[in-house]
Amino acid sequence: MLVVLGQELRDLWLGGRGLVLTFAFSLLLSVIAYLVATNHALNFLEHRETVNLLLQVAIAVGSLLALLTAADTVSGERERGTLESLLLTPVSRLALAAGKLLGSLSLWAVALVVTVPYLWFLGRGVGLVGDALVTGVVVGTLLAVFLASLGFLISVFARSNRVSLSLSLLLLLTLFVPTQLPSAAQQGWAGDLLLRLNPITAGEHYVGKVVTSAHPWSEDLSWLVSPFVCAGVFAALALLAGARFVRLGGGAAA
Amino acid sequence: MTAAVEARGVERRYGSLVALADLTFEAEAGEILGVLGPNGAGKTSAIRVLTTILAPTQGTFAVGGVPHTRPAEIRRRIGVLPESAGYPERQTGEEFLRYHARLYGRGRAEAAAVAVSLLDEVGLAERGRSLVSTYSRGMRQRLGIARALVNEPQVVFLDEPTLGLDPAGQRQILRTVRRIAEERGATILLSTHLLAEVEETCSRVLILNRGRVAAHGTVAEVAAKAAAPRTGRLAVPPGQADAALRALAAVAVVEASADGRPGLIAVRLTSGDSMNDAVRAVLDAGVTLLSSELEGARLSDAFLAMTEAA
Repeated sequence: MLVVLGQELRDLWLGGRGLVLTFAFSLLLSVIAYLVATNHALNFLEHRETVNLLLQVAIAVGSLLALLTAADTVSGERERGTLESLLLTPVSRLALAAGKLLGSLSLWAVALVVTVPYLWFLGRGVGLVGDALVTGVVVGTLLAVFLASLGFLISVFARSNRVSLSLSLLLLLTLFVPTQLPSAAQQGWAGDLLLRLNPITAGEHYVGKVVTSAHPWSEDLSWLVSPFVCAGVFAALALLAGARFVRLGGGAAA
Repeated sequence: MTAAVEARGVERRYGSLVALADLTFEAEAGEILGVLGPNGAGKTSAIRVLTTILAPTQGTFAVGGVPHTRPAEIRRRIGVLPESAGYPERQTGEEFLRYHARLYGRGRAEAAAVAVSLLDEVGLAERGRSLVSTYSRGMRQRLGIARALVNEPQVVFLDEPTLGLDPAGQRQILRTVRRIAEERGATILLSTHLLAEVEETCSRVLILNRGRVAAHGTVAEVAAKAAAPRTGRLAVPPGQADAALRALAAVAVVEASADGRPGLIAVRLTSGDSMNDAVRAVLDAGVTLLSSELEGARLSDAFLAMTEAA
């Protein structure tokens, strides 16, 4: 698995794709940081809210990058004709899947590192950087594992790379829909259940509670159930699918 | 001696479509077996089953004495150049081979040495550090062959290695294939459309048609089997044509008739040696034989006869 992971990291980072995505990510964070900092200076935003906003964007976009990379892993190799050569080696399919999944998660890890100076810049003076960082690591990693696994699963079964990427993005947008609902729709038991079941809204809600409302990290742990369960279940499904369903058909006529 | 590849009644279905049915054959150690067949005959499915990429829906096979129930062990003993293999554009040829050598469990230094040695073996030593994206199609195919040899395989499967290459490129690939068989003693299963080259390169052939084995044997055996009954043509002086026809009428294994052109006699041969009988009968009758021509004796004729007839 380590050999596969090493090659995935080389392809992603030395091949340039990871660097381009990370550069775009840092540009986005710069714009967001500038906007929230100016809003804070104009007293439109509380200090804690600026950190919360930046962290939520970093988590959402960082895990999106992991999803997009994972959605290209199997379907991309299949389309480029390089999958068969890999399947012909004695490396187990589980090891191949794990190596590829971890490779795509490296984008989230780098995105997190890129986020640190922005968090420090916005959170200095209120003793918030440590809490925000720990919350970001936990929630972001859970969501990145969930989304990367989801992307990988789609990639295993998709007939083409285009289908895999489109479907992954569509699902991601669907998961983000509840965040755009009017606040009235988020009230009551039904709204609460919807937010809690959706790992993205649940994770972002937890971040908001810890960073903006200054709740202790242990107070709202129930909001992490959905991200935790989804990360675990989807990671297991992705590895299972990688081990059992990464396959090819016959020749052109088959 | 254990056969290098042994298949017994192998079948592969995709839903209701039977891509491969009752595939039964053997390939001996060190031989080059040509796998022939028209498009959709099941060649690629056969190779994907035998290389453990696809599981057979029925039947059994063994590669290097290892049964198909131990696919990981089989993969350690085989090298494969898949049909339409892709290559990572951003890697150099050397990096590509090094990575695959590492996947077979070799250490860093050993993998690097293997990569350099294989690049040299397939004539890519000078381009080993160039990106694969700069390689021509022929160079990519040679890189693919080098990749297939990275684990010193007992059996090498080459699926259409000459596809899309110009005649010089095809010749170069086939030379490499012959050298691998001679120098490494590996068994090679070569799937190709180049029938003339198969006649030159392969010791035996396996013809597939619509997922079934249409013929299996040496080139001569397959040609003979497919070509019976064959046709031939005898040219005699026009004045002696009647005498020749009378002489041929006495030969039970030959049906002769005037070709329509003076002095030409068309013969239909009902057994493998009957052309000899026809020629002998004509000469014994005192007829001057100007020429004799036997049709349907080449592999290409056999291939067409078998795949068109079915």
